[in-house]
Amino acid sequence: MVGDRPPFEDLYRDYLGRIYAYVRAQVSTSADAEDITAQVFMNAYQAYGRFEARNTSPVAWLFRIARNATTDHFRAYGRRERLRRTIEHQPMAEDDPSRMAEERLQYRALLAHVARLPERQRDSIALRHSGLSFEEVGVLMSCSEDAAKMLYHRGLKALRDSVAKEGA
Amino acid sequence: MSEEEDLDLLALQRQLDDAFQTTRPRPAFEDELWLRIQSRRPIWQRLRESLSGLVEGFREAPAVPSVAVAIALIVIVGVGILTRGGLHFAGSGGSTAALAPADNAGPGSAARLPAPAFSQIASPTVPLGGGVKASPVLTLPVPSVITWTGRLNVTAATLPVFRYQEPTSADANQFAVSLGIAPAIQPAQGALGTYTEDALTLVVTGSTPQPAREPSFTLTDSKSSAVASGSDPIVVATAYLSSHSLIPTWPYQVDVQRSGATVRVRFLRLFDLASEGQVSLINGVGDPYGIEVDLVAGKPTVVETGPLPLSLDAVSYPVISGDQAVRSVLSSSAPAANSSIPTVRLTKAELVYVLVWAGDHSFYEPAFLFSGTLTDHGVTHQARVLVPAVAPPFLSP
Repeated sequence: MVGDRPPFEDLYRDYLGRIYAYVRAQVSTSADAEDITAQVFMNAYQAYGRFEARNTSPVAWLFRIARNATTDHFRAYGRRERLRRTIEHQPMAEDDPSRMAEERLQYRALLAHVARLPERQRDSIALRHSGLSFEEVGVLMSCSEDAAKMLYHRGLKALRDSVAKEGA
Repeated sequence: MSEEEDLDLLALQRQLDDAFQTTRPRPAFEDELWLRIQSRRPIWQRLRESLSGLVEGFREAPAVPSVAVAIALIVIVGVGILTRGGLHFAGSGGSTAALAPADNAGPGSAARLPAPAFSQIASPTVPLGGGVKASPVLTLPVPSVITWTGRLNVTAATLPVFRYQEPTSADANQFAVSLGIAPAIQPAQGALGTYTEDALTLVVTGSTPQPAREPSFTLTDSKSSAVASGSDPIVVATAYLSSHSLIPTWPYQVDVQRSGATVRVRFLRLFDLASEGQVSLINGVGDPYGIEVDLVAGKPTVVETGPLPLSLDAVSYPVISGDQAVRSVLSSSAPAANSSIPTVRLTKAELVYVLVWAGDHSFYEPAFLFSGTLTDHGVTHQARVLVPAVAPPFLSP
């Protein structure tokens, strides 16, 4: 797709859900996920005029913005709290029940486990399952495709262990 | 790696695929955000499109329903009417975006909010057992010397503003049915609905502007088996609320007031903020409130009253810092040299939420509540000052 530059509306329509899911897998509440997702598309909209389709695909570009926005979020005020919860093995903060109904409850727990993985493992899993190739994951994470695969598989095993540990 | 391990990981990958593919924002979010994006486009571009086939542009837009398009048109064409209560939303799907700024949006791109304020009709609080509790001073005399010796640490750059749509008689009927109370009888004056069923009487009222109050219910049970004496009143009240499916869905803290044989258990409403923890909802005189259950020992009557359960939309607005709030309060202080004018000593401040009435929809908005004392001619009163937290450019002038 490199070289194509679809209308921003198409990008928005096609990737809003995936960007949201990517962000949601990393933050503790759907309200935070909405805030960050909104910021992603606001920033993307502002910058789309300067986007060079020759260099990267619009999707990878969008996920780069999402990744930066999520990182900014943790830097700003979420990181310390998230680490505290991780250290204390506390469940992630619950959302408003009305929002919870909008997400499939059986996957909330799984995504909460993803959110507690080490940062790069978490990121590789979230990017990969958001539909990106390992090559794209590697580019976004500034590593080779093989390194991205390794991070992903380590993350997957850590996730399996985390889920099994809680189930035990 | 064993075959079993491989299968485990494959199964986990499938679950992850499902989880990521089914995790989506609430349905209204797509429209809300799209409208926010549209509202940031240059005004000349929006006007040009409105004059030359604007609809074509929206036809390209992703899944924006006609309601959202209608709201977008209001935003585009009606920039001049985005004032206090000036927006009307087409049904509950109209949602918050049309009123909402982006977190970094300039004030020109968003509807402004009515500013929170103390009630202009500050009805004194009636404490349990009757009598009248002296109201705190809510409007500081001018001039007065104002000092601040407390601490206020609020670091959030944005905070949510919550909005609800004013309920109708049909909503009141539905609420009554959910409590098992039907049919409706002739509503009392000013009420959305009045209902009786055996020993239960339910009155549902809509929002009131002064003092600002959200839609509320009062349920009187004249044959309750609940009694206050000999039991933990909180347990009794909680069980009573639970029996009517009225346990608050929002966070709360409980307090108990006693007067003679009457015990009032209050479930004081809190708002859960990701960045600032839980903050209280206060009424028009700065007191926390929520659902109240009155129990009378030895008598079978229980009265409970509180906000009607409502669906809230939430939108982030830029807010001022704690330091800015303090400066705002102190800016109206007279020079300290004059000892004959009243002195206000503010010692405490907290982030709170305040109901702001706005007609067919109203808001819960963040504010800073300062409290302390006012001394005037040797007499000391309790004093409170309310400072809107939403940044001034986003408030109606």
